[in-house]
Amino acid sequence: MAVRTYLQAISDGLREEMRADERVFVMGEDVGAFGGAFKVTDGLLDEFGPARVRDTPIAEAGIVGTAVGAALAGLRPVCEMQFADFVACGFDQLVNVAGKMHYRLGLAVPMTVRLPVGGGFSGGPFHSQNPEAWFMHAPGLKVVAPSTPEDAKGLLSAAIRDPNPVLFLEHKHLYRRVRGEVADGAPPTPLTARVARAGSDLTVIAYGAMVHTALEATTPEALGGASVEVLDLRSLVPLDEAAIVASVAKTSKVVVVDEANATCAAGAQVAALIAERAFEQLDGPVVRVAAPDVPIPFSPPLEQAVLPGTARIQEAVRELLDY
Amino acid sequence: MESLDRDAGELLTDDDRVGLLRHMLLMRAVEERGLSLYKQGKVPGSFYDGRGQEAISVGATWALAAGDPVCSPLIRDLGAHLVKGTDLTQVFRHYMGRDNEISRGREGNVHFGDRRVGVVGMVSMLPDMMVVAVGLAMAFAMRGERRCALSFFGDGATSRGDWHEAMNWAGLDRLPAIFVMENNQLAYSTPAARQFARNPVERAAAYGVHATTVDGNDVEAVFAAAHDARERALAGAGPTLIEAQTMRMHGHGAHDDARYVDPALLEEWSGRDPIDAYAAKLGKAGVDVAALRAEVQETVAAASAEALRAPMPDPASATTGVFRDGEPDADQLGAGVERWSGFLRLPAAAAA
Amino acid sequence: MSSSTTEPATAAATVDVVMPALGTSIAEGTLVEWKVAVGGPVEADAVLCEVSTDKVDSEVPAPCAGVLAEIVVEPGETVEVGTVIARIAAADGSAPSAAPELRRSDHGDGRQIDTAPDRRRWSPVVRRIAAEHGVDLTAVAGSGRGGRVTKRDVLAHLAGGGAQAPAAAEPDERPLHSESPYRPEPAPATEPAPERAPASAPGAAAPPSELGGAQQQLSRMRRAIGTAMRNSLSVAATCTTIVECDMSRVERRRRELGLTALPLVARATIETLRDFPDLNATLDGDTITRYERVHLGIAVSLGDDGLIVPVIHDAQELSPEGLGRRIREIAARARASALRPDEVRGATFTITNPGAHGALIATPVIDVPQVAILDLEAIVRRPVVVTGADGEEAIAIRPMVNLCLSWDHRALDGVCAARFLTALRRRLEGEGRGAG
Repeated sequence: MAVRTYLQAISDGLREEMRADERVFVMGEDVGAFGGAFKVTDGLLDEFGPARVRDTPIAEAGIVGTAVGAALAGLRPVCEMQFADFVACGFDQLVNVAGKMHYRLGLAVPMTVRLPVGGGFSGGPFHSQNPEAWFMHAPGLKVVAPSTPEDAKGLLSAAIRDPNPVLFLEHKHLYRRVRGEVADGAPPTPLTARVARAGSDLTVIAYGAMVHTALEATTPEALGGASVEVLDLRSLVPLDEAAIVASVAKTSKVVVVDEANATCAAGAQVAALIAERAFEQLDGPVVRVAAPDVPIPFSPPLEQAVLPGTARIQEAVRELLDY
Repeated sequence: MESLDRDAGELLTDDDRVGLLRHMLLMRAVEERGLSLYKQGKVPGSFYDGRGQEAISVGATWALAAGDPVCSPLIRDLGAHLVKGTDLTQVFRHYMGRDNEISRGREGNVHFGDRRVGVVGMVSMLPDMMVVAVGLAMAFAMRGERRCALSFFGDGATSRGDWHEAMNWAGLDRLPAIFVMENNQLAYSTPAARQFARNPVERAAAYGVHATTVDGNDVEAVFAAAHDARERALAGAGPTLIEAQTMRMHGHGAHDDARYVDPALLEEWSGRDPIDAYAAKLGKAGVDVAALRAEVQETVAAASAEALRAPMPDPASATTGVFRDGEPDADQLGAGVERWSGFLRLPAAAAA
Repeated sequence: MSSSTTEPATAAATVDVVMPALGTSIAEGTLVEWKVAVGGPVEADAVLCEVSTDKVDSEVPAPCAGVLAEIVVEPGETVEVGTVIARIAAADGSAPSAAPELRRSDHGDGRQIDTAPDRRRWSPVVRRIAAEHGVDLTAVAGSGRGGRVTKRDVLAHLAGGGAQAPAAAEPDERPLHSESPYRPEPAPATEPAPERAPASAPGAAAPPSELGGAQQQLSRMRRAIGTAMRNSLSVAATCTTIVECDMSRVERRRRELGLTALPLVARATIETLRDFPDLNATLDGDTITRYERVHLGIAVSLGDDGLIVPVIHDAQELSPEGLGRRIREIAARARASALRPDEVRGATFTITNPGAHGALIATPVIDVPQVAILDLEAIVRRPVVVTGADGEEAIAIRPMVNLCLSWDHRALDGVCAARFLTALRRRLEGEGRGAG
């Protein structure tokens, strides 16, 4: 056991999987010699060599498409989009080639796409996105979003070992800000939700960086003694419906949080699921907190106004507790 | 631009030649039968054929070893499926949307590929599969395997960004890929003159990709070009772009009567039909072409009749198989039938 | 993909030939020419006819060998894709067998949507728990916003038989409960939240004395009121309709007559009830009794002791002045506990007027077996849009009041209630006959 940052945990996970399985290789822009824009792949080139740690041209369609080909040939590519925002350039290959391949032709595509997501550091409109909803909507793609170092490592292992295309959302804001205990050689994390804090009066459902914001916003001290449960989804596809319904049954009040733009975000799917499957458990409306439908702005006061923070989550929670 | 004027004579035996003609005849017969079924209302959706282009997919695929996947044949390339060994009955069942082993009703017309014989099916976005072929080639190179990947695409597909990314990537790393561009002069109704300012073959060198042009209606010339490209790839000299010049004789699909095509052009090219020319040539050399045609017709009729007896897929199966459960088979992308006699003739070490 | 024109199953002897779909957007085709005559021999795949569509002309090959038995569509006719255009009597063994139909698996869930007939605003979980445990929710006091019964309330009711679970401490300053949903904050209260009763008890049992509370038993009157309110709410299908009314004319008139507004409103109400007999009625079980005479109940507050509703029988005979005198008189006797028993019975309609206390809207409880009650709340000077004689609109300051009518949906519908209130409003505002 060691205390690692979220970023270190991802590196550790990559390294362990590459050591254990020679089919696993990494590719992306600046991942090799430079060690990656965020240094996640730092040191891998030295250990594994240029065949397994490949610097690519700026070609997201190329990165995703060749990953599909390599996966069909029996390798386990872990490709990186330098910023999640750039996945849009590889959207066609991901959705139309990778996602539909098994359904149409019975060919499994065991590939992983790492996506550094999220804002909060003045990255502006093209370096701050949370694009998970686009891919939750595309059949054949799995989507995971860890919030802790332990889960970052565990879910990366799970993604790499999964015989299907998996999008791994690593939140840039958490890279160096979150630390936690991470075991060596731990088994992969299952694609299920986890209760980040148990509670009885109300549930906040979140994933990624918003789990931490939600925990901070809903301490008993902050809410005059109210007991708020925080459910960390961890996996968006598949979505842990049972855990969601169980938590709502327990508290009967739920606030769903997305850092992403509100319309059709992951939280919208969660809210619809709750309305359909947990209606009889509800003691109040399903409340959502999400970014408004705007590109993420650059200047700090604007960005803070857009990204959900503890204040907005607290306000929504108080309102609903009060209902 | 290098014009290949090679005599494939020393590469092909008589058996090869008969095999090439037979597979072109098979492709023609399957597509004629398919078109007839389509007009009888037995084929859902649309129907596409590669009439007049049979020499390209048959000739190029003939040069591939068992472990060289085709990724992917396009709508004029039924010959590639057949040369690789795809079962005819399954093809008809697939066309008619019946339950089948290749697509299970989830795909239609020429959007298919029997992975068991090393064919990856196409997607509609062209030339996406060219990038995937580059990925396969990359994997072969990484593992030090003597294998290459072949991708077909048309003149129109070269306009999309994926073509550039594939060419650049393959050329940069000298990957063992073969790119066959079927220049049949039309992308639906758009003539090549409205598709690109400079022929892609002229641009290939700029990517570090070797390029060559052949008569796409000469099956032996196409074979020779593909054979050379494969040798080059396995020698580490990188990818080759083969332009096979031909003419699309039918509309884009059965629903298109191609009234925008100059009839004189069609007239000229119908005199250059790849099958007619080759059948005449082999007939003169003593091959019983009539018997061959009859056998092909019988085979196709039997396959289509059997396919007509197949059931439609079970609607309950519509939502299964989106994800794979469990480790994929190591040979999920299998080996195709090895056709070229050269693979048998040469010593094992030098053979593919 | 366009819809398939896959050939339907037919008997082996006769094979249908259909108009093919030559393209995904083609819906119909025109028959151009038959190449075979009826009775003529047909070879499999030989051309039977020529058809024409918007996109392409094409030949239709025969699906089997045999004899052309029947031509269904003639040259020049245009038919939809899939239409039978001819029939072939198939030669033995040449008819293509039909694709065997697969039995469709039944995926119908047939999920029922639970439509509870109850109209009150209890949340799904509260209703579910109540149903599971046979709890009468009208007997459960609510600690949620606006007196809402929360899940915690009903669970506490089950656990402690009325003991209220401690509410989560609220850090903000808004009052949690109130007689009406009106809040002291600037936002205008426009939504009438359904209220159990205008004078309902807060419902909180006295906290244990360790917390410093003082215990007291409810008085007999308070208990009687409570019982009556609960009974009314459990028996009647109580709804409330509200109409805003401009009291300018009433204000002028009452000053002239030296009265309060109540007798003027009472008089207008009596006259309007003449036109709406459904509201001047009592409902007993399934029997509704409509009255020509108006026995008007007037709610009188007895301060902390509660309220009482003495009845002015045959109020229709009294003028506004007369009504004013009677109201003053019975109120005085009510407060002196000097009312006779027959003076608190037999009302056909009730008016309550707590407006002096400042509330803007309320949802009164019907004094069953009557079917309606009118609540007059505070008259407040407001800016309103008025239309001048020249047709131009302007803002004017007017004394406005909300006429709140609670009514029993078992006896009448919202349309009736709304029309009554509108007619009352018109009367009070001076349209048609004057007020009083």
